[in-house]
Amino acid sequence: MKYAVPVVAMLAAAPFALQSYQVTLLTEILIFALFAMSLDVQMGYARMFSFGHVLPYGVGAYACAFALQAGWPLPFAIAGAVLVATLLSIPIGWLSTRASGVAFAMLTLAFAQLGYAIVFKWNTFTGGSDGLTGFARNAGPFGFEGFVSRDGYFWLVLIVVFAMYWLARGFMNSAMGRAIVGVRENERRASAIGYVPRSLRVVAFVVSGALAGVAGSLHAGFLLFVSPEILHWTQSGHVIIAVILGGTGTLIGPMIGAALIVLAHHQLSAVTDSWPLVMGLLFIIVVIAAPKGLWGIKASLAARISLRRARPAGEKHAAS
Amino acid sequence: MPLLECSGLTKRWGAVTTVDDVSLTVDAGEVVALIGPNGAGKSTVFNLIAGAIKKTAGAVRFAGESVEHLSAYDLAQKGLSRTYQITCLFPQLTVLENVRLAVQARSPGRLRPMASKAFVDKTQAAAMEWLARVRLADCANRTAGQLSHGDQRLLEIATALALQPKLVLLDEPTQGMSVEETRATVRLLKSLLEDAPIAVLLVEHDLEVVFGVADRIVVLDQGRKIADGNPEAVRNDPAVQRAYLGVAHA
Amino acid sequence: MSVLQLWLNLGLNTLSLASLLAMLTVGLTLIFGIMRIMNFAHGAMYMFGAYVGISAAQWAGNFWAGLLLAALSAAAVGAIFESGLLRHLYKRDASSFLLITFGLSLVLTESTRLGWGSNSRDVQLPEALAGVVFVMDEPFPLYRVFLIVFGLTALGILAIVILRSRLGLLIRSISQNAEMTQALGVNVGTIRTLTFAVGCGFAGLGGFLAVPLITGYIGMGSAAIIESFVIVMIGGMGSFLGSAVGSLLVATTQSFGNFYFPDLSLVVTYLLMIGVLLYRPGGLFGEEE
Repeated sequence: MKYAVPVVAMLAAAPFALQSYQVTLLTEILIFALFAMSLDVQMGYARMFSFGHVLPYGVGAYACAFALQAGWPLPFAIAGAVLVATLLSIPIGWLSTRASGVAFAMLTLAFAQLGYAIVFKWNTFTGGSDGLTGFARNAGPFGFEGFVSRDGYFWLVLIVVFAMYWLARGFMNSAMGRAIVGVRENERRASAIGYVPRSLRVVAFVVSGALAGVAGSLHAGFLLFVSPEILHWTQSGHVIIAVILGGTGTLIGPMIGAALIVLAHHQLSAVTDSWPLVMGLLFIIVVIAAPKGLWGIKASLAARISLRRARPAGEKHAAS
Repeated sequence: MPLLECSGLTKRWGAVTTVDDVSLTVDAGEVVALIGPNGAGKSTVFNLIAGAIKKTAGAVRFAGESVEHLSAYDLAQKGLSRTYQITCLFPQLTVLENVRLAVQARSPGRLRPMASKAFVDKTQAAAMEWLARVRLADCANRTAGQLSHGDQRLLEIATALALQPKLVLLDEPTQGMSVEETRATVRLLKSLLEDAPIAVLLVEHDLEVVFGVADRIVVLDQGRKIADGNPEAVRNDPAVQRAYLGVAHA
Repeated sequence: MSVLQLWLNLGLNTLSLASLLAMLTVGLTLIFGIMRIMNFAHGAMYMFGAYVGISAAQWAGNFWAGLLLAALSAAAVGAIFESGLLRHLYKRDASSFLLITFGLSLVLTESTRLGWGSNSRDVQLPEALAGVVFVMDEPFPLYRVFLIVFGLTALGILAIVILRSRLGLLIRSISQNAEMTQALGVNVGTIRTLTFAVGCGFAGLGGFLAVPLITGYIGMGSAAIIESFVIVMIGGMGSFLGSAVGSLLVATTQSFGNFYFPDLSLVVTYLLMIGVLLYRPGGLFGEEE
């Protein structure tokens, strides 16, 4: 967290230092990083493997698009969209957590696919496979237009993503967040001290969904276009690989993983048609060879270094 | 009124009756040990009380309320905590966090969704006190899974006590411990119980532990209660001697 | 068409669809039941088998050649994947397998697309299967009758092998206690590979057989895997009876749903799944955890 301010400051300077297409890319990276971080709340902290995380993301995107189409000022559109995504996550979370592990994964996938099918088929409302266009980043309230331009929107995304990170960090360190970690570590012991595992899992799911909804609405405001493709389950793969590559349970790791995935996608799509093939291989390799992800590797290196430093002093205490 | 009141506990698995009409009580602040030779049904009674197994017949009342269909977390919230025969900790979390979570679980603000340094500091301080009492303070930052078996059992006891329950169920607390560790645990339990009298119901095989801490001993044999009284009386009870040794002593 | 004729038609449709779904799902259940791996790549196997079968049928001018090669190719890919990769990872937890097989599904799907292109493909039905059969004066495609018969036969053979043969006994004992079985001198590794291959083979078979109904297209794997997951959730993970019953229930909601509520049949299927899960979280015949 102590690095956060310098990093944000550096990023804030981006529109002055980088070319416009790079600022656009950076915006995309930030949005995907938030999406990945939101999944980490479930995957990393609660060990709930949701394969349907595209659902709150996509719902957030579509809801924001509708609100913008209806003329709402952008901040309200985002807020409304997040509310919709959050409310939807409640019954889905409640139902899905009746199962756990593999069954939970399958259920969340099934629900996401249902969402995809509904959005795809409900042409009149959602525009079907053509998607929704014809909306803009409406100014307001009070005619505020700071976020309408490309650079302005970048700054908005930067602020929102940082704020969400700060909230997520606060949540994971709170009493409730730590209780969720307890449920992950040993459900029986968590029950034995009086926590209700299922309720905590539902909370984790809903918080995760709310954050994904934020990412989704930022996506709508970014592209000014939404299509059912963002709800397709293969997109779940994108965000899962970002989380695993970055390192589960760290919040920061998935954000870095997300950046790498977006960059890799852009670079490789320029030379090949088979990004999904690369992603699939990457998936397999990372899960087998580096299950703790990049951040996990960094953490174990750091632990080894601090152990080595501690040894010469003949310390009595084990690694702190 | 007794804190824990079990009447007529019975458990049948088909044609086999493992627990047959067992009744026992535990008063506030009392330490009651449940003993008996192998196969006597001690663990079953224990698990019936804790709600881990469904009873065939009988009633369990805790603090005057029936606890028929309560799950582990409901029982914990009502002031009944337990340890497990197979050590049940948060393996990847630190020793300190293991106890701190228990302290947190009984604090107001146990479900607060925003971080508060003051809360963490307060609960950590309380947790450190418990660790100090069980002599695990210098392991505070080690991962729970790295502790020796005996220390893990101690940690589990500390976690159960940190909940400040009205009654704690200790399931073979010294199981797997060496003789030294067992003696240390007995001393520890006695000092802990002197400071803060909690009611305890413990299942134990090690009679040294039992005679060291118990105010009252309940003896089971083949699913039935055969004795219930203070340690001296039980030690001299011919029925108990028969059950353990096969023959009555003069 | 009277209501009775309509319902008979829908009923036969249901059975033929159930037959296809069952072949797909039984493979998944076989793999999960024995190896505790939920094979995410199952849909991709379905699609891969279909495409190989289509090409084989074209090349050999023979539908049956396509059928055989669909099953064998999917089985072969499964065997290679299991023995080359999965076998070395049994110490990992279930979520790792889910993720790895997810990665495999991406790789296999994309490889198939690269190999065959994105256009959908069809296969020529042999004379013998191309006609119609008259049921209560209404024509019903002979191919669908064939699917019902073939499905019952294939599943029947599988059931006999699992329940009555020595191999089946070994498979069942491995699913109950792999270590013990190994200690008795059984080559658990080989049987696992075989089981995985057979499961994938059934998927490939199902994929090829589905082509005359839905054509072979790149997205067929995704649709199939979701469907089989829904069936498994309804029927219970690891239960063959559950897979059969689940397939029947889902085929019913789809057939009747497609007729009565055309755009909502998927929603009806999902409502069925939600209903079952509310009533029995483990699925109708699932193991109670």
